[in-house]
Amino acid sequence: MSNPDTIDPKFKDEVMAELGGEHLLRCYSCGTCVSMCLVSRVSSEFNPRRTMRMVMLGMRDEVFRNPTIWMCSACDLCYPHCPQGIHISELMRAIKNIAVRDGYEAPGPVAVVNEEECSGCDVCEKACPYGALSLVTKVFDGQQRKVSQVNKNLCMTCGICAAACPLSAITVEEYSNEKVAAQIQADGWLTEPAQRLPGEPQLLVFNCSWNLRADVDRAALTRFPPNVRVIVLPCSGRVDPIFILLALKSGVDGVLVAGCQPGQCHYKQGTRIAQGRMRILQQILDQMGLDMSRVRFVQIGTEERGRFPALVMQMLADLKARMEPANITA
Amino acid sequence: MVDAARHPNIELLTYTEVKRVEGFIGNFKVLVEEKPRYVLMDRCNGCGACAPVCPIEVPNEFEEGLAPRKAIYIPHSQAVPLRYVIDIDHCIKCYKCVDACGKLDAIDFSQQPKQRWLDVGSIIVATGFDSFDPSELTEYGYGRYDNVITTLELERINNSAGPTAGQIIRPSDKKFPKKVAFIQCVGSRDERFNLYCSGFCCMYTIKNAVQWKLTYPDADITIFYMDIRTPSKGYEEFYRWAREMGIRFIQGRPALITEDPHTGNLFIQAEDVGLGQLIELESELVVLSTAAVPRADTEQMSSILNISRSPGGFFMEYHPKLRPVDSPTDGVFLAGAAQGPKDIPASVAQGSGAAARAARILNAERWEIEPIVAHVWEDRCISAQGKKCGICATKCPYNAIVVEQGKAAEVMPAKCHGCGGCVAECPHNAITQMHFTDAQILAQLHALLAKEPEKKIIAFMCHWCSYGGADNAGTSHFEYPASSRGIRVMCSARQDQDFVYEAFRLGAGMVLVSGCHPQDCHYITGQRVAAERFERLAKRLAEMGISPQRFRVEWISAAEGAKYAQVIREMDEVLRSFDPQALKEENERVRPELERRLRRLTEIPDVAKALEQVYA
Repeated sequence: MSNPDTIDPKFKDEVMAELGGEHLLRCYSCGTCVSMCLVSRVSSEFNPRRTMRMVMLGMRDEVFRNPTIWMCSACDLCYPHCPQGIHISELMRAIKNIAVRDGYEAPGPVAVVNEEECSGCDVCEKACPYGALSLVTKVFDGQQRKVSQVNKNLCMTCGICAAACPLSAITVEEYSNEKVAAQIQADGWLTEPAQRLPGEPQLLVFNCSWNLRADVDRAALTRFPPNVRVIVLPCSGRVDPIFILLALKSGVDGVLVAGCQPGQCHYKQGTRIAQGRMRILQQILDQMGLDMSRVRFVQIGTEERGRFPALVMQMLADLKARMEPANITA
Repeated sequence: MVDAARHPNIELLTYTEVKRVEGFIGNFKVLVEEKPRYVLMDRCNGCGACAPVCPIEVPNEFEEGLAPRKAIYIPHSQAVPLRYVIDIDHCIKCYKCVDACGKLDAIDFSQQPKQRWLDVGSIIVATGFDSFDPSELTEYGYGRYDNVITTLELERINNSAGPTAGQIIRPSDKKFPKKVAFIQCVGSRDERFNLYCSGFCCMYTIKNAVQWKLTYPDADITIFYMDIRTPSKGYEEFYRWAREMGIRFIQGRPALITEDPHTGNLFIQAEDVGLGQLIELESELVVLSTAAVPRADTEQMSSILNISRSPGGFFMEYHPKLRPVDSPTDGVFLAGAAQGPKDIPASVAQGSGAAARAARILNAERWEIEPIVAHVWEDRCISAQGKKCGICATKCPYNAIVVEQGKAAEVMPAKCHGCGGCVAECPHNAITQMHFTDAQILAQLHALLAKEPEKKIIAFMCHWCSYGGADNAGTSHFEYPASSRGIRVMCSARQDQDFVYEAFRLGAGMVLVSGCHPQDCHYITGQRVAAERFERLAKRLAEMGISPQRFRVEWISAAEGAKYAQVIREMDEVLRSFDPQALKEENERVRPELERRLRRLTEIPDVAKALEQVYA
């Protein structure tokens, strides 16, 4: 309410007229949604309660100029807890829809399609939880070809499409294949014998960004022994099976992939997609004659305090118990 | 309670259930069932020799299950009357208590339930409330985490006569918790469970926090709240004192509690709304301020006593502002939290009010009632001719009509509240309502439609809601077209379908029937009777060939002046959109059918005469 000239008293009506915005005025700022929100946990500027308040007060420009309105991933952890039954993610979507009509754009970053590589196979469109990808016909060298296109306002950069693309034609800049590979290899973790503790197994952990709520568990990520390397990705759906195969090939003893519990996935269905992928991967490993238990996939509920570190230590102990020269290239 | 037990004019029936209630104000008959105690009231002296020898231990309900009790027990040490009772569901009949009782010989396993009828003049319902079961609210982990308890459990732990002798300990490790958090509005102000505010939880939480802080000044106490509600006398000052003594108040409703499995400590996730920041607070004990909810047997009681319930499920008062102690049934009064959550002073005030209002009836020789009661023309009632009917009795919300085959239906004036539902429902026009007779209402209708009927909207309104809504539209200066003409009856149930037929026969442009919203109906089920009727009527009118837009049903509360004005505006707009000539032709087309349906109308006593007067 800083400047009365910029107040739009009709703004709240506009949002309420939009599908999903109906129950806006029921909000009495109890903060339940914020206390459940994992985005708020990571970046404190994101505050759905405050956004709703600003809408109610008619702070149109402030709301639209605020980059955080694009951060809600519609995980719907808050909705079942709201005592007023407000579907907050739908409300945020209503705000975003109006913002788009007003000419605002999500600040990005977004997934990028390499159109030269893209074959138009449509796998990414089916994998994307947000319907952000669609096939369009474009002309290349005088030839019409279907390629995938990203809707900037819908993409949440979960990277599920990047892992799904059979041609690796989609990249999410911050979590590109090259950067993930570099993270795994940093400080010569795979190659330098100095990094390997004698008699201890090497464990590579891929964890999603959202399954740990407790401060202690988040802090634990950096406190594992050096033979454990944790790579944090936006979603377990970003884990490309290639990462795992390459790690095993390089001599890593085990790989643990941790995602959210189904129903709590930050990107709606990422954890289910990862579950399917990991199952297939394990079958392939089995056919290759490798021990399936060297790759594990777990789904952690956000309120399961202490489970993640315990799982890592458990897997480490299991790997140690079966310590024998790994026959990876067989 | 002790005073009540000793009073010569008070008979205390404990461990007794109300089974049936018949009769009316001043003349109720109540069937009660005394449950078997298996202990003789006149022999037991409450010495307590029996309980220690009893080998059975079950959770003690009064101690919130935190302590055991025996199968032979008293509910709590101040119980009145101080007589033991045997919990026969758990008793193994070892008869050790019989030996312990010895010469008193007060134990009698042969007791059976005893039923008897009581004659009473008035009834006060003070059945109290239940506490919300927070295990339904899974995010707080009650029942899963040992150290999440309810306020009532804390009350017992903190009580010098309680299971811990007043030592505050937490359930998981029996240690004293230095950090405690209270969470408000558990199960209330929450559309998943109860929308209402329980009202007194803020105060009792502050009381518990203050009590704790006074005993242990080092204690770290946090109260999570959405709004603190301390509106009564002296309450706000108490709240201020609590803040000043260092109790931490955080505005923000926690969404989740997680437990550290090693320490048993709890981590509360909440937004500190004042800071606009997410916080994670570690606490050794979490106390949930649970909502007050209607007692589990409220529905059963409401059907026995024939009193309705408010949307929250508590018993409904006759009028929320002007008659907050009376139930909708005359002679039945409400006291305490059975009517809605309230604290001790309010319960005492309402109890005193109920006692005074009940005593008025006991002392009166005659009792004046509203004159608008229903009356049966015995010669028209087909039940008197030996035929089976009784529709009026099934539609009466107050069970005020008795129908015996072979005799005319009989209205008990003392029970009749004058909604007029039976009058409109009687298929033989054999009932009338004093001051709202068919003759009177039809005369109004004829007068209103005497000129240019096709330009008029006839609005039938109920006295309590939609008429109030129309009144509200007027006093609030909500404009609506002048084409509407209102006819007021007591309840939408009185709005006879014949009135609607007659209005269309006379050529009315539009007809609106209106009443209360279902939950607000002044006459318990009157609105429902009307709603059913009008649903059928709308179909019938359409079949006859009357344009469906010309008949509208709306539920408008007394506060919805704007809605009333809006409805009339919309109807006026529709009316104007009709071609007047087509409207007249439509009326002519349906007139023979309407006349056929209304043929019996003039047989009703006085109707013909009343209509003659209109045209005179």
